[in-house]
Amino acid sequence: MHKIKVKINGTDYENEVEPRLLLVHYLRDKAHLTGTHVGCDTGNCGACTVFLNGKPVKSCNMLAVQADGADLMTVEGLARGGALHPVQEAFLDKFAVQCGYCTPGMMLSALALLKSNPKPSEAEIREAIEGNICMCTGYQQIVDAIAHAADLMGQSRSA
Amino acid sequence: MIPPKFEYLAPTSLAEATAFLAAHPEEAKVVAGGQSLVPVLKLRLARPGYLVDLGRISGLSYIREEAGTIAIGALTTYAEIKESALLREKCPLLPQTAAVIADVQVRNRGTIGGSLSHADPSADMPAPILALGAELKAVGPKGERRIAVENFFHGMFATALAPDEILTEIRVPVLTGQRSAYLKAARRATDFALVGVAVRMRVGKNETCDEIAIGVTGVADKAYRPAAVERALAGKRLEPKAIEQAAAAAVQGVEPLGNIHGSAEYRANLARLYVARAIAAAK
Amino acid sequence: MLNFDEIFVTRNWFGKPVRRDADTRFVKGEGSYVDDLNMDCVYAGFVRSPHAHARLGKIDTSKAEALKGVLAVMTGPEVAALTKPVGARAITRPARQHVMATGKVRYVGEPVAVVVAEDRYTVEDALDLVEVEYEPLPVVVEVEEAMKAGAPLVFEEAETNVLLHDTLTHGDIDGAFRQADLVVKEQFRIQRFSSTPLENWAIIAKHEKGTDSFVVWANCQQPGRSIVNVCGCLGIPANKLRFIVPDSGGGFGIKLALWPYIVSQCVVARKVDKPVKWIQTRREHLLAGTHTPDCVVDLELALKRDGKVLGLKIRDRQNDGSFVHTAGIYNLIKFATMVGCYDIKATQAELMSIVSNKAPTVQNRGVGKPAMIFTLERLMHRAAVQLGLDPAEIRFRNFVQPEQMPHTTPSGEIYESGNYPETLRKALAQIGYDGVKKEQESLRKQGKYIGVGLSASIEPGTSNLGYYYTSRGTPEYMGNAEGAIVSMDYDGNVNVLLGSVDEGQGHATSVAQVVADMLAFTPERVTMNTHMDSLVSPFLGHSGCYANRFNDVDMGAVIMATKKVRDKVLKIGAHMLGVPEGEVRLKDGAVCSAAEAKKSAPFKDIATVAYKQILLLPKGVEPGLKEVAYYKNEIAKMPGKEDFNVQMTHSNSVHAAVVEVDVESGMVSFRKYVIAHDCGRHINPGIVDGMAIGSTVHGVGTVLLEEFIYDENGQILTTSFVDYMKPLAVGLPRFELTHLESPCPTSLLGTKAVGEGGAIGSLAAIANAVEDALAPFGVKVTSLPITPEKVMRAIRETKVI
Repeated sequence: MHKIKVKINGTDYENEVEPRLLLVHYLRDKAHLTGTHVGCDTGNCGACTVFLNGKPVKSCNMLAVQADGADLMTVEGLARGGALHPVQEAFLDKFAVQCGYCTPGMMLSALALLKSNPKPSEAEIREAIEGNICMCTGYQQIVDAIAHAADLMGQSRSA
Repeated sequence: MIPPKFEYLAPTSLAEATAFLAAHPEEAKVVAGGQSLVPVLKLRLARPGYLVDLGRISGLSYIREEAGTIAIGALTTYAEIKESALLREKCPLLPQTAAVIADVQVRNRGTIGGSLSHADPSADMPAPILALGAELKAVGPKGERRIAVENFFHGMFATALAPDEILTEIRVPVLTGQRSAYLKAARRATDFALVGVAVRMRVGKNETCDEIAIGVTGVADKAYRPAAVERALAGKRLEPKAIEQAAAAAVQGVEPLGNIHGSAEYRANLARLYVARAIAAAK
Repeated sequence: MLNFDEIFVTRNWFGKPVRRDADTRFVKGEGSYVDDLNMDCVYAGFVRSPHAHARLGKIDTSKAEALKGVLAVMTGPEVAALTKPVGARAITRPARQHVMATGKVRYVGEPVAVVVAEDRYTVEDALDLVEVEYEPLPVVVEVEEAMKAGAPLVFEEAETNVLLHDTLTHGDIDGAFRQADLVVKEQFRIQRFSSTPLENWAIIAKHEKGTDSFVVWANCQQPGRSIVNVCGCLGIPANKLRFIVPDSGGGFGIKLALWPYIVSQCVVARKVDKPVKWIQTRREHLLAGTHTPDCVVDLELALKRDGKVLGLKIRDRQNDGSFVHTAGIYNLIKFATMVGCYDIKATQAELMSIVSNKAPTVQNRGVGKPAMIFTLERLMHRAAVQLGLDPAEIRFRNFVQPEQMPHTTPSGEIYESGNYPETLRKALAQIGYDGVKKEQESLRKQGKYIGVGLSASIEPGTSNLGYYYTSRGTPEYMGNAEGAIVSMDYDGNVNVLLGSVDEGQGHATSVAQVVADMLAFTPERVTMNTHMDSLVSPFLGHSGCYANRFNDVDMGAVIMATKKVRDKVLKIGAHMLGVPEGEVRLKDGAVCSAAEAKKSAPFKDIATVAYKQILLLPKGVEPGLKEVAYYKNEIAKMPGKEDFNVQMTHSNSVHAAVVEVDVESGMVSFRKYVIAHDCGRHINPGIVDGMAIGSTVHGVGTVLLEEFIYDENGQILTTSFVDYMKPLAVGLPRFELTHLESPCPTSLLGTKAVGEGGAIGSLAAIANAVEDALAPFGVKVTSLPITPEKVMRAIRETKVI
């Protein structure tokens, strides 16, 4: 067993873990943050996407011990003080959520894009979510939601 | 899908890591970003006794220019390569390749050293590394050695690295005054290459090909340089007809392999097509 | 039937893109999918057969049982001894099958033993330790081999691999072919694929010792039938099973068939006396199902020279794999769309359900209709080319006309509404059909090959569940219906429960919109708990989320129950206001006097009387405001071979695609894509658009990417999302939608099916576009998927994709 310390959504966690424990299972089973999902075995679907030191990674494709010392953010860290994040608002506004299973990972990929590219083109948006599979929407309303989120975030910046 | 049990080591120095590998050559496996290895462990296709994580060794992630050469630390991620201003200016072939590897999340974890050491025959990175004539630095318990890239890939998932050696640095030339391109054929944007072709060339007056190096991945059991194509074009004017004729030799001397994503025959055809297209794109 | 105008008091919400705030939990990561339920579970996993067909020998579980943390290992034969066999629905030959392998394995991935351990990691370690002896048997993979005399039998007791074989003729088929000027025919092969919901199957089973009963949480799409099947296999009465469906990460039909695993989970839960959780892995999902069956379809059209289709013959061979429960269904449901949008007077269908050593099959999005419309619309395109007609023109000449509605097809399907010619006109206008044809000419001169493809299709909804009676005795189910409970609580808010479940369609929002307009208040005051619980939800054997039935029977049940609540609220309100019952109306969440608007009783006050101040109730009125209603679609016929309606509502669409084919690499890319769509009235256009586009992308995957590949030994080669390729955001066109609205006269809201259309209509549009692009090379598309390798080979050598 290995002791690991991580910060998740601003809260410190310290646990003894088996080295083979996947980060996604650490988040779900040890930290009880079940918003991060598992949709495949091979790192293709992106439902398990979380931020590791500010960058999106696939938490099913990583061992918890590899995250020792890291600052993590999961979907549960998006809303602040009861207010939804603009990305969350945008996903609801544009019907980008159907079954909701891909949504957490999709939103984190979207946020990662918008942090580095506040005004992305449609092609850039599509490329930013190519590591996230959605089975329900056909992506179009998600793409629209991310463009809309860019507008909302732009407005809140200029406000 | 859960990895089998293993012991985990996170050495903080290369000496510590290589000493451990030397002591457990059969049972130990090195992990960097883990983007290839973790899925393999989850599917239980590998059952290493020990996992040696390089992530805690400092000083293995960098991109810097050293006297006409660019040195890239083995733990440098694809994302860092894609974004590197230095590489974009002086060796754009690498950022161009990194940009089409897998997806954003994988590029944030996957490392150039990990990819090259893994030697997946469909991985993208070996193609430009071959075309660039890179030099690879490996460290073992007995010290450091340099391996020319043409001697590095031995076959499917097999390299020149000894079990106790770790790839630490990739050195590529500054491409000032040269043209380059990486073109990839894949069913979907994030897929492994059906065929990936990297081209680097020096073009003289009247569009003559003064020097050309090509790396091809996805076709054979390892990435390779289609020597016959390079020879046929050397000194020739880069006209469409000449390029097409030369590219016809894209799989000469190699045995194309097939799988469910593309038969050997299809990959061979794609290789001829994409070699021509990559040369045209580099023009 | 309740008149549309009698349903609504206001029209503030129905038909508007109301935001799905009811599902805000999903954007917060606070959904409760089965694996999120934390109830001190132990975990289960399955040892699966590596052989496609083998006699099952000794199963040694001792090493696994000795592993620390392992609680139980049960073998397939042990589970079979405690359960009853799986029931068949459509097949006519005897075939006996249990929920786990016993005696022999019939496909790679068939569960052979189940392991229960304290955590999911130990489960996987233990799976490695179970030793199974197999004696391999000869394998049948494709339908042609399976049909040969002397072929290895998947079910020996059936004495054949063809478990259903029937020929149904409607109309004067011989006359049609005698009078034809031209017969166009083709054999099509359509691959195995699956809509693969992003959340895999998930089950928690708990045994209640005190009552010897079970509680199950499962992401099951069809709780009604699943409850019946689970109780049947366990040999327990319905009152010994409580069945709960929490949030579910997509369904698309694939979650209709997880109930055999519920059976085995219940068996092991009883043994270990703890709640047992099983979370299917993606590998298991792709390996062991369930799949859409692959099929070989021979289709013939008899035409007059002017393009008029006189008759249609189909010979349909479905590779139904190895699951007797669903075998044959795909054959029979094709009757819902056999003649597509066309007025064809004679049909003949030879149907064969063939079993093989491939994985189990299930009703995947559209169920057989994607294949039916694909083959029909491919041949319409082909016929047009052969007759020198434009592909649009031949369709105009054959459409059922709007004034013919309701139109009955030769087999008895009743198309109740729709304007097919107008749908095509809209699609042609939006795609810029004539412009594309001109552009095609000029681009060909530059060595660029684009093509335009059309596909007109029916999208049926609400299945008449007895349709498989056409092949065997009295149906266990017939017609279709749903139940709802609507209650106004003592705060004056409304709560809704349905027998059905939500797989992501946003039922809570659609229901809130309708209820709000029925009660003249706001959707925020309507809560719908979409988590079905058999202890409290009204449910029928039909209950579930399938066959595009929400807009019809689910909404029907909600409306009828709401109407009951409304009637009672009006009665109590009138009494409270001292006004005669006929002289009150609903306004802003209150009952008010029609004559004197200020005189009003808010719902909260009315509810207070109903729940607390019950002595103030009018005479003879019961306390409480909770009502249950069941609603059935009235147009279901008694199923019979001569005359039956498989489905009861009929949306339609025209898909128009413009593609470019890179003739050197074989890669196909989109230039433009139009969906002209008529699903009657929309409850929520935001949701409708998402369904139309999402289902179309399933079709794109089917046409261009997805395929379960088996080798000649029955080994499946596509068990991860690396090898089984789903569409990604990159590579898709921007879909342009254009809507028509022909209200359905037989559903309460005039709504029709919307969940499956794209998966049905898109296949032929894209394939026709590819064939059109490659016309200069004489290439024909007869199989799916259209892979770049097949395209390249067809251009260079074979001329056939």
